[in-house]
Amino acid sequence: MTTPTTTPTTTPATATPAAALTAALAPVVRSEWVKLRSVRSLLVALFAAFVCTVGVTVLAHAMVGKAEAGNADFEPVYGSYFGLNFGHIAAVCFGVMAVAGEYAGGGIRLSLTAVPRRGLFFGGKLLVVGAAALPVGLATGFGCFLGAQALLGEYGVGLGAPGALRSAIGCGLYLTLLTVFSAGVAAVLRSQVGALSVLTPVVFLISPVFAGVPGIGTVVAFLPDRAGQQILHPVPEGPLGAWSGMGVMALWAALAAAAGWWSLHRRDA
Amino acid sequence: MTLIEIRGLTKRYGPVCALDGLTVTVRPGRVTGFLGPNGAGKSTTMRILLGLDRPTSGTALVGGRPYASFAEPLRHVGALLDASAAHPARTARDHLLTLALSNRIPARRVDEVLEETGIAGAARRRVRTFSLGMRQRLGLAAALLGDPPVVLLDEPANGLDPEGILQLRRLARRLAGEGRTVLLSSHLMGEMARTADHLVVLGRGRLLADAPLDEFVGGSASLEEAYFALTAGSAEFTHQEGTPS
Repeated sequence: MTTPTTTPTTTPATATPAAALTAALAPVVRSEWVKLRSVRSLLVALFAAFVCTVGVTVLAHAMVGKAEAGNADFEPVYGSYFGLNFGHIAAVCFGVMAVAGEYAGGGIRLSLTAVPRRGLFFGGKLLVVGAAALPVGLATGFGCFLGAQALLGEYGVGLGAPGALRSAIGCGLYLTLLTVFSAGVAAVLRSQVGALSVLTPVVFLISPVFAGVPGIGTVVAFLPDRAGQQILHPVPEGPLGAWSGMGVMALWAALAAAAGWWSLHRRDA
Repeated sequence: MTLIEIRGLTKRYGPVCALDGLTVTVRPGRVTGFLGPNGAGKSTTMRILLGLDRPTSGTALVGGRPYASFAEPLRHVGALLDASAAHPARTARDHLLTLALSNRIPARRVDEVLEETGIAGAARRRVRTFSLGMRQRLGLAAALLGDPPVVLLDEPANGLDPEGILQLRRLARRLAGEGRTVLLSSHLMGEMARTADHLVVLGRGRLLADAPLDEFVGGSASLEEAYFALTAGSAEFTHQEGTPS
């Protein structure tokens, strides 16, 4: 009887817990990255977030940009992100699909057989999903701002205008955190349809519809999308400022990620 | 020598008792057939072995360790649980590559197992275009990826054509011949009689038999007959809560 050849599997003893975690996380991140880039619909959703947001902004500015510029309440910076109302659903879809895709057909069982440490698996996945969304989000932010200002001509402002650079970077952070938030919700609900049917009303109906209602409006201001979009205004109004709003949104994302991890950790796969 | 050791394993899903104090040891160097009616607890046992489900009580160890304690588990245990596990939009090769990368298995192993399971020609096709038989082969390829000393195969013959079944039998025999621990579940009695050396039979979450194939068949005309004699009354559809068997 021959003994099967197995390569040594123990990872080299590492000095610090941080180094050990990095060593354990690296192969998971590489694997998750291939998972992401090998499914076309994920790449399409990510690309759509950029195209829809910038596209709608540019289209709106090309059509009515200069006409609007004559209005008394005209504000060139926030107006640049008009397309975000349409494009951010693509970011939600990207985050949901990246996680929920695992739950269709029992793929999660295979993934957890390969990486049984569930926190490591989920952490690696969120890291890759967030890392993919950030550059696309930043490109979207700068694309929107620069595109809109170019079309505004003499009414346009530069990145040096108050709150302008902050808004473009903020748009990137907003889309990244929205993606991570959606991924966390998808891990709790374990299904694409379930996650989208929770996220879509929250992001599309509750916040825009109730934002102006007195009393409720204050509460709605703390919803992830409202809070995160404060940074797009040069002078934010309401209970949250630019960075405190982004902080509230980061808390939502962290909460959803923690809930997703807890669900993965506690339940049978 | 890598043993699978299952001790007092119990798993309850609400009022349903899927496993009821199962104790069994699966040894290397032979093909162990895992038999039992639907709902007997075969798949539950495999899921607990792989750390996917938590047992209500008891332990399931591979080589003396819980599965989840392996840093690169695919190098220790290969498993085929579900032919539909691969994402339909991914190519076969990318699917295996994601698994290989997570366990630091060199990418050339991906091409080797694709070749070994006869789907190298379809490596760059998306899984949604695969027949059930091809998905089973892809699942087998995933199980072999880490060259593991322990192989768990849950109903691997589902959807395979006659040639595929013959190849599966040869593969299981070869893996056992190389000294690996092979646990194979199937409902195909004739095929099991030609493949297994040893049988573990479950009924309603309990061990009904743990014996060499010859001994199990004994004086019966066939494995099928011996199996029916043993499992009569243990089938899922006759099971009623609270009534003694």
